[in-house]
Amino acid sequence: MASVTLAGVTKTFSGLTVVHAVDLAIEEGEFMVLVGPSGCGKSTTLRMIAGLEETSGGTIRIGPRDVTRLEPRERNVAMVFQNYALYPHKTVAENLAFGLKMRGASKAQIHERVQRAAAMLKIEPLLARKPRQLSGGQMQRVALGRALVREPDIFLFDEPLSNLDAKMRVHMRDEIARLHREVGTAMIYVTHDQVEAMTLGDRICVMKDGVVQQVGRPLAVYDRPANRFVASFIGSPEMNFVDGVVAAREGRPVFQARALSVPLDGVRHAGLADGRALTLGIRPEHLERAEDGFRAEVVAVERMGAESVVLLDAGLPVRALIDRDDAVSRGDVIRLRAPPDRIHLFDQDGQALDA
Amino acid sequence: MRSRHDWVIWAFFWSGIALTALFVGGPVLNALWLSLHQASSFIAEPRFVGLGNYVRVVQEADFWRAMGNGVIYAVASIVLQVVIGIAFAMVLNQPFFGQRLVRGLATLPYLLPTVVVALTFQWLADGSVGLLTVLARDLGLGTIPWFEQPATARASVVLASVWLWTPFVTICVLAGLQTIPPALYEAAKVDGAGPVSRFLHVTLPQLKPVLTVVVLLRAVWMFNKFDVIWLLTRGGPLGATEHLPILAYKRAFSQFDVGGGAAVATVSFLILMTIVTIYIRLFPLEEKR
Repeated sequence: MASVTLAGVTKTFSGLTVVHAVDLAIEEGEFMVLVGPSGCGKSTTLRMIAGLEETSGGTIRIGPRDVTRLEPRERNVAMVFQNYALYPHKTVAENLAFGLKMRGASKAQIHERVQRAAAMLKIEPLLARKPRQLSGGQMQRVALGRALVREPDIFLFDEPLSNLDAKMRVHMRDEIARLHREVGTAMIYVTHDQVEAMTLGDRICVMKDGVVQQVGRPLAVYDRPANRFVASFIGSPEMNFVDGVVAAREGRPVFQARALSVPLDGVRHAGLADGRALTLGIRPEHLERAEDGFRAEVVAVERMGAESVVLLDAGLPVRALIDRDDAVSRGDVIRLRAPPDRIHLFDQDGQALDA
Repeated sequence: MRSRHDWVIWAFFWSGIALTALFVGGPVLNALWLSLHQASSFIAEPRFVGLGNYVRVVQEADFWRAMGNGVIYAVASIVLQVVIGIAFAMVLNQPFFGQRLVRGLATLPYLLPTVVVALTFQWLADGSVGLLTVLARDLGLGTIPWFEQPATARASVVLASVWLWTPFVTICVLAGLQTIPPALYEAAKVDGAGPVSRFLHVTLPQLKPVLTVVVLLRAVWMFNKFDVIWLLTRGGPLGATEHLPILAYKRAFSQFDVGGGAAVATVSFLILMTIVTIYIRLFPLEEKR
């Protein structure tokens, strides 16, 4: 068990910087998720921690050891790859045993650890099979097992669930969470899926264009996104954004955007000077039906089961999440309200006002 | 529409069969027939002798020496071609400046006609001014009699063959290397495997399907190879490089023993067929990754 510390970690590919001076501390036993859209540098960061990619600057520590210039095998990390990367010519048991064999473990030790990992992942009946005889979910279990038997200081996951179908993905997500509880070793997990990030992470690190945008507990990031990018990336359906200005009406601040006007009474942010250009953000799930709310016409309804996403025209396009029993249909006019404590305000650089 | 389509398929099918029968099946049957007859030339009246030619040739020391030479030549040149071919392919698979150009140049010997390569090799190994001779002399190895002594002549034909056909192995292995997912190497690195372990546990097993076919093809070709040896040594000195195809040729065309030559060729064919059958049993070609 160990912590991981990244200090100013940078990666440049032929003059193009893809990871900008990342500072990140992952505590012992913590589950850290690096999340962001493709090309945000999350996988490169993970690969630098694994030693599969050289750093162009900064240092990486695992526990007290500076591993920045060490080979992958000297770092005592285990990694689960997106496409599993199982050795096709080896049986499941041989795949599990390979890392231990390379480290000179005794036969008895290898046997014991392989059996234990196989039991943990319920893959004992598969031990004699070759990877090509396994389903996607089974291959993923074996890949997890291969990492598990090593008993490494750190587990690294590079989008391990993205090749699985939706149902299997949810199942394996639970499995990974269970493994983390059982082994208690720090895990660093890369994904572009914010649902995976929210459900798995003790903390999440949101990245964009090689820059860390925000690090925090999932709900903290959801409740108080540091900037407009994080606000839009975390949460589904995506947050509504409306550009407008602060206006004073009868001495009270109001957010005005074309025909839409939202009272800002009770909004906790400072700096609501009259005439200031801002972006207001409100999550679809936080819009409420209210008689004194703004007027919006239903453009389309996407029924998802328990809830429905409603596309509205309020002079501007707006999305709202409503209960399935709340029967609205195309052409209906409804009134909605943005509760002040759910409103997010961003300046013109996209930074949250309370950040 | 359908019948027209069928017609094209049958035309291709039967023309293939006809050409194979004419240019492969015919000569093979003719050789078999000749091997059962005694004749001093192809125009002489053949006399049926049954298995007499076979009995005669297998009792001769020349036959067994030619067989031994053939095995030594085939095994040595295949082993060297495969080992050097894999090494070259691995170098060419690394990214470096001018990689495409070097890849192209590396295949050049394979594209040249054998006679050109053989003549070039003879110049290189020329006893007084040859580049290899001068190089060996400068390295203090003395003057190497490339084609004049049995051991060096054997080594020379192997060397020339390796030079000529290693590019074939390199091309095949390079194609195989490019299909190996990089993630396997990364997984092996994280698992603690060094370069040698990665080669043994990832590269080699992943190349197995390619190597199985390459070794089979090279074995068949090297065992039957005639041109390069004939051009370099004509089987000499003292029969040191004479293997079964050359023995068969000499019998039929120099010693006017057409039946004996055909018998040698037929035995050679049967031996090769046995080897190939055993090989395919040991390394099934259809095995998937």
